[in-house]
Amino acid sequence: MKTYITLLIFMITQGEFMLIDDLIYPDAKKTFMIGNQAIARAVLESDVKVTAFFPGSPTNEILDTLYMLSGKFEDLKMEVSANEKVALETAAGAAMAGVRGFTSMKSVGLNVASDTFFTLGYTGVNAGLVLLIADDPHAHSSQSEQDGRYYAEAAHVPMLEPSSAQEAYEAVKYGFELSEKYEVLSLIRTTTRVNHQSSNVEIGQLDRTPLEKRSWKDVHKKFYTLGARARELKKNSLKKLSSIQEDFEESTLNKVVEGEGSTGIITSGVSYLHVLEALDVLDLDMPVLKIGTTYPLPENTIMDFIDGLEQVIIVEELMPYLEDRITQLAKNSGLEIRGKRSGDFGMVGEYDVPCVVKGISTVIEKDPPKDYDKIVKKAEEMKGILPKRTPIFCAGCPHRATLWALQQSIKDKDYVFNNDIGCYSMFLLEPYEITDSLLCMGSSLGLSSGMQHVLDEKVIAMIGDSTLFHAGLPGLANAVHNKHDLTLVVLDNSVTAMTGQQPNPGSDFGPDEVTEIDIEAVVKSLGVEKVKKIKAFEPQDNTDDINDCIGYDGVSVIISEGPCALYHDRLKRKQGEPIIPNRVDDDTCRSIYKCIRDFYCPAIELDMDSSHTEIKKDICDGCMVCAKLCPIDAIGSTGGEKDE
Amino acid sequence: MSEDKFNIMLSGVGGQGLMLLSQTIGRACSNMDKKVITGEQHGLSQRSGSIYVHLRLGEDAHSPLIPYGEADLMVSLEGMEVLRNLEYLKPDGHIISSNRLMHHPIETNKVVQEEIHEYITIEDIVEKLEEFTKNIYMIDSLSLAKEAGNPRTENVVLLGTVAAISDFPLEKDVLKEVVKETVPEKTIEVNLKAFELGYKEGVKNG
Repeated sequence: MKTYITLLIFMITQGEFMLIDDLIYPDAKKTFMIGNQAIARAVLESDVKVTAFFPGSPTNEILDTLYMLSGKFEDLKMEVSANEKVALETAAGAAMAGVRGFTSMKSVGLNVASDTFFTLGYTGVNAGLVLLIADDPHAHSSQSEQDGRYYAEAAHVPMLEPSSAQEAYEAVKYGFELSEKYEVLSLIRTTTRVNHQSSNVEIGQLDRTPLEKRSWKDVHKKFYTLGARARELKKNSLKKLSSIQEDFEESTLNKVVEGEGSTGIITSGVSYLHVLEALDVLDLDMPVLKIGTTYPLPENTIMDFIDGLEQVIIVEELMPYLEDRITQLAKNSGLEIRGKRSGDFGMVGEYDVPCVVKGISTVIEKDPPKDYDKIVKKAEEMKGILPKRTPIFCAGCPHRATLWALQQSIKDKDYVFNNDIGCYSMFLLEPYEITDSLLCMGSSLGLSSGMQHVLDEKVIAMIGDSTLFHAGLPGLANAVHNKHDLTLVVLDNSVTAMTGQQPNPGSDFGPDEVTEIDIEAVVKSLGVEKVKKIKAFEPQDNTDDINDCIGYDGVSVIISEGPCALYHDRLKRKQGEPIIPNRVDDDTCRSIYKCIRDFYCPAIELDMDSSHTEIKKDICDGCMVCAKLCPIDAIGSTGGEKDE
Repeated sequence: MSEDKFNIMLSGVGGQGLMLLSQTIGRACSNMDKKVITGEQHGLSQRSGSIYVHLRLGEDAHSPLIPYGEADLMVSLEGMEVLRNLEYLKPDGHIISSNRLMHHPIETNKVVQEEIHEYITIEDIVEKLEEFTKNIYMIDSLSLAKEAGNPRTENVVLLGTVAAISDFPLEKDVLKEVVKETVPEKTIEVNLKAFELGYKEGVKNG
């Protein structure tokens, strides 16, 4: 028997491991994969040549997987883009030039890319182009529960909606066929529970072709819209959608589960899986229509399904997208439609089996076999004793040290603090609770500009390196040009940390060769006259520089440098450098707790017997900041000695 | 009607290696052509936050999320995190957890500010868990991992203990094979030792 050597690669996210043998396996096989890896495998099988991404949960593992594999396929161009708009344009440019392009982004990423997206709906493409967006019901890791399904109709592009890892894989492959058949962008919409669902996945053959330079002369197409041409192209896009709708009537992404009775269920996405189980729980045998082609809807399939039914329950997360459209479709049929509009299901949060069981039970007026609320209530009572475990900065994180210094400077001042998207967003949470606004990528600058016209207080904006390049630079140019009065704190930790330490334009690494852009030079060249660069891990030295900037009348920028701890640890491990933790000297410690108060490092606990501070050696990163803050020098490096 | 469904709620603290547990069991199922589905929590990449994986085996498990009160087994790499997910446990379901507690800075700060007298203890937690089940196995997995030769093999120790549960639907040897496939080659020996130590602990506790 041929033995296949399993390759183990430490993924660029949080030391998570990933098995790559299945991802690059040449033949069809049955495997176990997370949805995002199944999507990445489908991208490879579809012979996509150009992929570009800006990271964002819950899509990160698509980027990370293709990043990791890009070195294995010479014909695959993979880029980490400055933002989602550039990523979509990069993939679209390749598709216009004649090779397949792919990008994925989180729900709100499409807001950034939407300008490009809407016009692509008019121009169409040449070779295949697939855009995958991942909505986040429950807002697990997003600023909103935005429902991306409405984008498809608004931009006149078809949309597929898989419910499982297997279907996500299939949707990508079908998406490319559709895109090339009609020369349109194919939109795929997933949700967190599809992207982060691991399951049995049957993958297909992996055949790749070489990437050869082409000539624009062979394209014979133009990609622009204006005036009369825009109107002509729109008409054309709408016409294509009618043909696509006919194709969708035959699509295997739509499924009917046969059943009995006069009540049926129409559902889509991961809700379909909850429905199947809820029907088991309730011991019901209702017919179910699962819709996987959510725009344009397969109207004949829906009409056939409701024919003979008296009542339909619509089960979908977030907004009543299907419900409103099916209500319109069935308006003359006498069908009773139950869902969100009737109050049986909610529009907030994500669904699960208990929630679907409850909704169906209400409609059919049958008590559920289990009282889920009672179970949750009893568990909540037991949990009363539990301390919170909110997300917190890692041991060795530079942001914790920067904020410590900033707090020393601003604690006696009146200020407004406009935060931005990144790990530092956590300053809004307990124990810090320092944040007056946080809307979206780059919002700290524009909001600060508006506020400084009106407020008496000093206006402070905070932004990370990645977010600065993504959407912060126009706001900074605007503030300089209009002579605003604000202080911007740039947290430069070398990577896009929160999503798994991917590179950004300020990083010195990438999937291919990169140019590292110097933030200080960018800021100065934009005309900022007051710029101070500080070292995050020397917090006590930084307060004067921070005071200097905050006291300045005009735009001032503080750039705090210090690498992300997770990224830095990985670099050290790669170079065989040890991570040397700190220790507390028991004879010196006098339980002053300066290392605990206002610092909140997860490596520091209390020894309840001695009431002294104790450093957890498997968590401590050896950043030395706590040692610097200790007034009696009770903390020092272990020097790598083991004392256990 | 006997259902083909076995639900495992995995939990822990970011950085402890929870994903290895779900990946190993998932791959073992896949190798045996058994249906498996998970609902995983990824997202913010910081260490030290609460994390979980819903892991479901069998033809009748459709949803990626375990319904409340239906986890046959809860496995946790940290004591508090079992209690945090208690609503998922089936009445009298099994709990296998590390007895280790990782105290969050907010909790530490409360002790320092004298808002609370002391840290929560594993006994406090077990007392609450007992309201739901008597099948609680708190294991000193850190010591066993150190005994195996690497404190970072705590997750594999717990996997060994899981294999000792009588109604767990996968064979011990199948899991061991996948551990061999999954961990870095240099660490196979120490991981297998960790697995065996965990298994023995499981057998000892019945």
